[in-house]
Amino acid sequence: MTGEAITTTGLGRVFGDRHAVRDLDLRVPTGQVMGLLGPNGAGKTTTIRMLTTLLAPTSGSARVAGLDVRRYPARARRHIGYVPQEKGVRHLLTGRESAEIEADLHHIPRRERDRRVTEVLDLLGLLPDADRLVSEYSGGLQRRLDLACGLLHRPDVLILDEPTLGLDVPSRRQVWDHVRQLRDGGGTVLLATNYLDEADALCDRVTILDRGREVVTGTPAELKRKVGADVVVVRTRQPDRLGRALAGLPWVRQVKVVDADVSVFVADAPSALPAVMAEARRHDVAVLRATYERPTLDDVFVHFTGHVAAGAQ
Amino acid sequence: MTVASGARPARATRLGQWAQELRALLRRWYLQLVRERAHLVLTLCQPAFWLVFFGLGVGGLVDHATVGTDDYTGFILPGVIGSTVIGSAISGAVPLLWDKETGYLHKLLSMPINRGSVLLSRLLFQVVVTGVQVAFILLVAVVLGVRVATGFPGLLLVSLVAALLTVALTAVFLALAYHGPGHNTFFTVSGFAALPLLLASNAFVPLAAMPGWMAAVARLNPLTYANEASRQLVLGGWHPRLVGYLVGLSLFAAVCVTAASLAFRKQAGGAP
Ligand SMILES: Nc1ncnc2c1ncn2[C@@H]1O[C@H](COP(=O)(O)OP(=O)(O)OP(=O)(O)O)[C@@H](O)[C@H]1O
Ligand SMILES: [Mg+2]
Repeated sequence: MTGEAITTTGLGRVFGDRHAVRDLDLRVPTGQVMGLLGPNGAGKTTTIRMLTTLLAPTSGSARVAGLDVRRYPARARRHIGYVPQEKGVRHLLTGRESAEIEADLHHIPRRERDRRVTEVLDLLGLLPDADRLVSEYSGGLQRRLDLACGLLHRPDVLILDEPTLGLDVPSRRQVWDHVRQLRDGGGTVLLATNYLDEADALCDRVTILDRGREVVTGTPAELKRKVGADVVVVRTRQPDRLGRALAGLPWVRQVKVVDADVSVFVADAPSALPAVMAEARRHDVAVLRATYERPTLDDVFVHFTGHVAAGAQ
Repeated sequence: MTVASGARPARATRLGQWAQELRALLRRWYLQLVRERAHLVLTLCQPAFWLVFFGLGVGGLVDHATVGTDDYTGFILPGVIGSTVIGSAISGAVPLLWDKETGYLHKLLSMPINRGSVLLSRLLFQVVVTGVQVAFILLVAVVLGVRVATGFPGLLLVSLVAALLTVALTAVFLALAYHGPGHNTFFTVSGFAALPLLLASNAFVPLAAMPGWMAAVARLNPLTYANEASRQLVLGGWHPRLVGYLVGLSLFAAVCVTAASLAFRKQAGGAP
């Protein structure tokens, strides 16, 4: 068992004279959920298609589950569960038939097949609809079926391209729960998404791509810290008194007073807010209003790419 | 990663897996065809209707001396089979085309299956579909009074000729669907190719009755040889020439399948 489920080294792909992906060094440790973020056309899908052996890299190399995808494409595919960005329209098959066929295509032994199909359909809450035609499914049902099929062969590495595109809120949460469950069971997940809240909720680490290049990689918390600090802002009639009271405290990084507003820079605003309020009470400072601001992944995204994310409202 | 999980499965296992994936793909093609009832019924019956209307209707206008027999229905039987095969080869590539355009083909190719299996399953399936169509045409022909010179064994050989031509042409159209940029190109090219393929052959008019240049073109057309073989079997009788036709058609089919499977090794064309 190596520590990395996915490793790319100088990975690149050129279409004509367009560099869809260039010089990408991606490492996804086993057992983590890794997010690929980036504006439309950043190269997320292209990267994924190289990892799933659908597209040959024009430079560099990639290993999935320890196997070089160029030298051992067929063997690498056995370790990969892939849910493409496009909806898998399987016109006139029932959900169960689709899953059975995919199970056969993954060479799941016949005696295990039906049990496994029922298991994944159940996992994604599809059993009540299993015997309806997929052509009659709603978009959300179809997406869940795609995901169910991706889990059939219990892949070591699950690669999801925008798994919750077009899903309603409850279905998105369900998908997130399944992804977490999978990770907790030791699986590795690579997930491309345009939804920053999804990346924040789900990913252990994210890589932001822009125009084919890696811009930055880190945990969501690290990245947010890079673009700014958490700030608790208190409006009061005695700003200077409060400022002095807070200035020396160990959990306070910096205090700025501007007119009636005291800005307190801290590591974690939600937990610091009650402490700030307690200090104010102790020094008899009347608080008119208290709020906090913390950078979101949106700020990170805008900071590093100069774009607003496509999935943001 | 343990060594065992990355290792190649044994040969017997690989054969079993290959059979499993082919069966699954065939099941998928089959279910999609039979669930479109109207499409299925028309696919199977239309060629036979054509034989009725063409044979009985147009047959009345045709100078029997030109076609060299007074059984015009028998004469155009190979032509109707040939046009059925062309139609079948084109429609046989359409499910693959949709799979490509919906992105499902990508998913198929990301699975641990043999890349050739998609091509092979489609070819096998289409041969069976054409086989049923041809059986139906032959049945109608016999009902219409066509007397087959070589009897029942001859009919089996007519079906074999149709099967070989189906394999060859379906392989070509599958490669076009796989490699072309999209369905517009596919339907334009296949629509453009179908009629000349049919008309620049001896399907409805004997070579001898054509202008010289057209006969020369027709001699380059594989359909002409399939027609010659079938016509020999239906109207003529047993003849050593038949061996040459069958060998030639088999070679043609082999070349087309080889070319198509090479094409399938490469990246699919068009949008992702
Ligand atoms: N088959 C192809 N031929 C030519 N150019 C391509 C092809 N596939 C992708 N590209 C180009 O490569 C770049 C990266 O595309 P890619 O689909 O990887 O982006 P993405 O990050 O997945 O975007 P989105 O968020 O819109 O899904 C784009 O400029 C795209 O136009
Ligand atoms: Mg994409």
